[in-house]
Amino acid sequence: MADLPYRDKMADNSNRAAEEEEDEEDEVVDESGYKTVKDAVLFAIDVSKSMLTTPEDADPKKPDTGLSPTIAALKCAYSLMQQRIISNPNDMMGILLFGTKKSKFQEGDDETGKTGLQYPHCYLLTDLDVPAAADVKHLRNLVNDEGEATDLLRASDQEVSMANVLFCANQIFTTKAPNFSSRRLFLVTDNDSPHATNRDARNSAAVRAKDLYDLGVTIELFPISHPDRGYTFDRSKFYDDIVYSAIPSDPDAPAPLTTDIKAANASAKDGISLLQALLSSVASRAAPRRALFSSVPFEIGPGLKISVKGFILLKRQEPKRTSYIYLPPDSEKPQIAVGSSTLMAEDTARSVEKVEIRKAFKFGGETVSFTEDELSKIRNFGDPVLRIIGFKPLSMLPIWANYKHNTFIYPSEEDFVGSTRVFSALQQKLLKSQKFGLAWFIPRRNAVPTLAAVYAGAERISDAGDQVMPPGLWIKPLPFADDIREPPAEIDLIKASDDCIDKMRVVVQQLQLPKAVYDPQRYPNPSLQWFYRILQALALEEDLPEQPEDKTLPRWKQIHKRAGQYVVEFGEVLDKAFARWQKDSGRSGAPGVNGGAKRSQPFGASGSAPKRVKKEGDEDAGISDEDMRAAFTKNALSSFTVAHLKTWLQGKGLSTTGKKQDLIDVVTGWFETKRDA
Amino acid sequence: MAQKEATVYIVDCGRSMGEHAHGRKQSNLDWALEYVWDKITATVATGRKTTLAGVVGLRTDGTDNSMSHDEDYEHITVFQELSQLLMPNLKKLSKDLVVSRTKTGDAISALVVAIQMIATTCKKLQYIRKIVLITDARAFVQADGLSSITKKIKDDNIELIVLGVDFDDLEYGFKEEGKDATKAENEEVLRTLCEDCGGVFGTLAQAIEEMSMPRVKSTRPVPSYKGLLTLGNPQTFDTALSINVERYPKVMQAKPPTASRFVVRGDMTTSQAATDASSATLNGDDGLAAVKSARTYQVEDEEAPGGKRDVEFDELSKGYEYGRTAVHISESDRNVTTYETTASMDIVGFVDRARYERYLEMDRACLIIGQRSDGKSTMALSALIHALYELDSYAVARLVVKENKEPRMLLLAPNIEPEFECLYDIELPFAEDVRSYKFPPLDRVVTVSGKTLTLHRNLPNNDLQTAMDAYVDNMDLSTFGKDADGQEVEYAPMDETFSPMLHRINQVIKHRAIFPTADPPPTSEILIKYSHPPQQLISQNQSTLNKLIAAAEVKKVPPKARGKRFGRKGRNGEADKPLSELDVTALLAADPKRSTKRLDPQNAIPEFKQLLATSEDESLTEVKEACIQLQTIISNWLRHSVGDSGYGRAIEALRVMREEILDYEQPELYNGMLRALKGDVLEGKLGGDRKDFWYQVRVNRLGLIRKSEMGASEVGDEEAREFMLVK
Repeated sequence: MADLPYRDKMADNSNRAAEEEEDEEDEVVDESGYKTVKDAVLFAIDVSKSMLTTPEDADPKKPDTGLSPTIAALKCAYSLMQQRIISNPNDMMGILLFGTKKSKFQEGDDETGKTGLQYPHCYLLTDLDVPAAADVKHLRNLVNDEGEATDLLRASDQEVSMANVLFCANQIFTTKAPNFSSRRLFLVTDNDSPHATNRDARNSAAVRAKDLYDLGVTIELFPISHPDRGYTFDRSKFYDDIVYSAIPSDPDAPAPLTTDIKAANASAKDGISLLQALLSSVASRAAPRRALFSSVPFEIGPGLKISVKGFILLKRQEPKRTSYIYLPPDSEKPQIAVGSSTLMAEDTARSVEKVEIRKAFKFGGETVSFTEDELSKIRNFGDPVLRIIGFKPLSMLPIWANYKHNTFIYPSEEDFVGSTRVFSALQQKLLKSQKFGLAWFIPRRNAVPTLAAVYAGAERISDAGDQVMPPGLWIKPLPFADDIREPPAEIDLIKASDDCIDKMRVVVQQLQLPKAVYDPQRYPNPSLQWFYRILQALALEEDLPEQPEDKTLPRWKQIHKRAGQYVVEFGEVLDKAFARWQKDSGRSGAPGVNGGAKRSQPFGASGSAPKRVKKEGDEDAGISDEDMRAAFTKNALSSFTVAHLKTWLQGKGLSTTGKKQDLIDVVTGWFETKRDA
Repeated sequence: MAQKEATVYIVDCGRSMGEHAHGRKQSNLDWALEYVWDKITATVATGRKTTLAGVVGLRTDGTDNSMSHDEDYEHITVFQELSQLLMPNLKKLSKDLVVSRTKTGDAISALVVAIQMIATTCKKLQYIRKIVLITDARAFVQADGLSSITKKIKDDNIELIVLGVDFDDLEYGFKEEGKDATKAENEEVLRTLCEDCGGVFGTLAQAIEEMSMPRVKSTRPVPSYKGLLTLGNPQTFDTALSINVERYPKVMQAKPPTASRFVVRGDMTTSQAATDASSATLNGDDGLAAVKSARTYQVEDEEAPGGKRDVEFDELSKGYEYGRTAVHISESDRNVTTYETTASMDIVGFVDRARYERYLEMDRACLIIGQRSDGKSTMALSALIHALYELDSYAVARLVVKENKEPRMLLLAPNIEPEFECLYDIELPFAEDVRSYKFPPLDRVVTVSGKTLTLHRNLPNNDLQTAMDAYVDNMDLSTFGKDADGQEVEYAPMDETFSPMLHRINQVIKHRAIFPTADPPPTSEILIKYSHPPQQLISQNQSTLNKLIAAAEVKKVPPKARGKRFGRKGRNGEADKPLSELDVTALLAADPKRSTKRLDPQNAIPEFKQLLATSEDESLTEVKEACIQLQTIISNWLRHSVGDSGYGRAIEALRVMREEILDYEQPELYNGMLRALKGDVLEGKLGGDRKDFWYQVRVNRLGLIRKSEMGASEVGDEEAREFMLVK
């Protein structure tokens, strides 16, 4: 076995997505390693004459409304591709056009040697794979460049066989995305009755659809209607034979929410363009639903267990980490270098098998070791479970009791029949009584046990009637006593007087966010957006973009207009109150707040940090701006200590890393730019 | 930086310490050592060079101390001078601290030795000085001249702790009956000494009991942001408000120590390794070598065998992956991807507390206070805190902790205590952080046919809802706890819950360091106290719970029925149908190609499943035949695989076959096939070296079907594990 080193790369393939969801501290990845937790989406876009026709009632002011359905679908795929590179960098995507005059299948299909002839009028525009920059570029050119589009986007005179289209998709999934846990075919068409007069052809299609179903491929239909031509897409004519419900045939079964996609209108009568409609339906299904855990029993009381699945609905999306790139000396094209690691003993540099490895803790300059068995016994606090130990009012859940994202749970009938109704009863009760369940939670075998608050989340519906937040329960891991930090000691509590508070209240009332709620959708992450914009520009060899609008910045002008006057009033009251306090307490404090009108000079000119008066006995006071400026002009910055420089820099929000000379450079830089301004 | 510390432990090792008093299983010394080891190992665990400890043995057979020329100081041995303690010291101490044959030895003299040790080491430097004396007080104590000792202890600012084996302690509630006169007298002497020098005097039982309460390590708060909190833009508007604030962590997860990977040194044989694993710490050299991971890098190269080629690390440079495209960023352009920001905390607006959803909280909470020494800022912040509180509102702010760090959105919530005010802040999600998964409503059912139902088997009926309401109300923990005065308080408040893993791991490490060959001690009760509902509460509400269980009518799905045959085919055992209920099975049967029951390699998986689903052959000949066909197809894929190109399909087919076979209770069909496949792989019959394929089989957990999975299997867990290894 020595010739079979442990390879990160392979483990990566099967576990990477899972690991993203896992806590880093958990060493054991359990059942999730079973199937590749990856998603593959293949767009199948109809290229018929009707799909290529631009709507007649297009609004010339809105170019989006003048798109043909095929182009709109391609634009939609283009936008999804860009988005998935950011959000699901390991997932695959492909685009298949059908009904085209031209035919094309995978290049170098070495196994069969068959060419496009096998699937006439199917044109594989982008093969199913993790998208490359070239794919993005190609697609962008296609949707923007009429020339290439007219050459490729020509409808065939013959009707394309739907059985062939489906089998073509089958082959793409089979060869390019084997063993994926999620494989989906996004089908965009305006033809509700292909093979209207040919029953055999329809039956063949139904058989090929069953093949896809048995292969584990889900078909998601995006139907298009043409109200301007009086045409409404009717699923029952053909597509109900093709599409499967995830739930067994039971007329009273709850409808899966994913089939509620309404046929998009090709014309923009209601003000929503086809592109927008498609984008929003695709967006609602863009993310494959991946369960974080599915075999953790939810024990509501001793003897009452139900089954639930856990999902991550909110998770910080981070920019990609750097990778190692290989630049071949003879080629322009950089390549990704894939790293793999071998374990080696430090003393002899021989490679080491996993079974030989012992776990040891560093202690007192040596190691204290345990066998694998002992350690797993020590780490074992029982089987995975979410066990309620009692209930408390939500008022006993302080706002600060949080240290990581919360997990959403939803019932499943998989292990216990009746789970859904019990879960529903609990959810409704917790919602109504504003209570939470305190629970002992072990999410995976050998995972760190935590106490968690199980609380209810209500269903949120947007104005347009779409579900924004699903109903269910949430698990909030609670901090232990070990995790709670004390505030720094020796804090002077200086309470504001009532008149100050009254003035501040007015300010707060002026600046409510829309509907007085925080809506994450309004705040794209500016660093992340910028990162990927730059990366895309580099990958596609485009010009670097301008700095985009940062939607997280406060609306300065509005704040000034709506609350400015009240802030000034607050400043005045505060000044008086503070003077009063100083007199009463016999102290002189450093004036640190600038309440608008009180200031004698504009803020920007002298730097935004407040001036501080050096007081006797106040070692923390640091260096004032004046002193620093004086030292700067005399070129005597080095006379300050590193600690003082750091304090001053921190007050300015500047970098405080590096050696003393680095700090001095930052200070120098700051004064130099200030003088210019 | 933590304060320097010097602690001397005086441990009575006299003959009487070997007794097993009051029916205890341990000797008095072992009992006392429980306390000593706990303290000493906790010191070792900090790994601090500035935390010193020394150990003095009292009533030892020998004598070894700086004043040994004086006969008053006989039978006192300095086992450990004041220094940072490491493993070798611990090993020596565990040999030193044993019961002696000696009856005499003066505790006060030992105290003088300890004072001397501290004076020599610490001089006049800043130290926290401490002496801990543990004794059963059965030997003669010379009580004159105590006042000078008291004075010295006070002058040197030494904290004296005296813990006695079975000392009387009325406050704790212990009184030893039939105490011998010497002990009673000595107890009195030591008690007076402690009182005079402001020390602590207690009985050992209490100290040991308190040990079971996990110690919470306190950490010095370090600000994560120091700067302005602004409302409005002070750069452009003169109506902006800016307050000097500091931000500190409120919650920070304390993680247990992590184990590192080691391997037994090359010069030791494997059999030795197995037996020495736990005793390795006994020897000075622990016999372990650290394990490093060596990384190698490969790039795709069509001309290289296997399609991949090794590249040297030196040849690589940094970049990013955009999809599957490599984007190289040269050294000079490194920060082109950085979004330029300046440190700031800006209020964006205010939200309603009642409409805020707790699930939006993304990260650990922090607290914000006015900058210390800046009274006016503190006052202004106080005004904001009170205004938010009075309006039942929270603020939303944008925070950049440092120049060029990414902005974060924060929720600011007011907190007012009598002596402390602050804003708590918690990170909120951005648009990209929200994954829009949709789930059906829980209070109504919308059917496939479009009807909305309020009565449905997935919805609770009145009985169930009433039972649930009663259960939730009765299982209330808000007043179930008892405080020291017996008043009703919250049960399991956060500051009385302790991280089980953290304390458990620390406990076993410390134990193993002292007792290398002993089994780890049991988990202390407090760590698992909250793993179950309090028994008393459950007993009180058993009838409510019974009603709930009856109304819930939850039935466990029998394990056998969980397979696809039942789950996927619907409850009535029919094959899956499309939305239109079209009888696809009939169409399949009519398909001439499929009626031959030959699997098409291109469509192998669907056809394999369909073949099995429609097979009505009781003798399972068809199923066996299908498996053989699929096995041939798998072998062909492997044989023609370029590099690993065919592995994915082969793995998928194996997985499907394994899942389907599990439903047929015919484990041998799969196991036999897998054995044959392994043979072919190892013999290189499938197009060369395919051992890396076997690795894939292993990580995908597609090994033999074990007896523990299915009763019909003959394969034990150990055999299955063995089988996966390639020898």
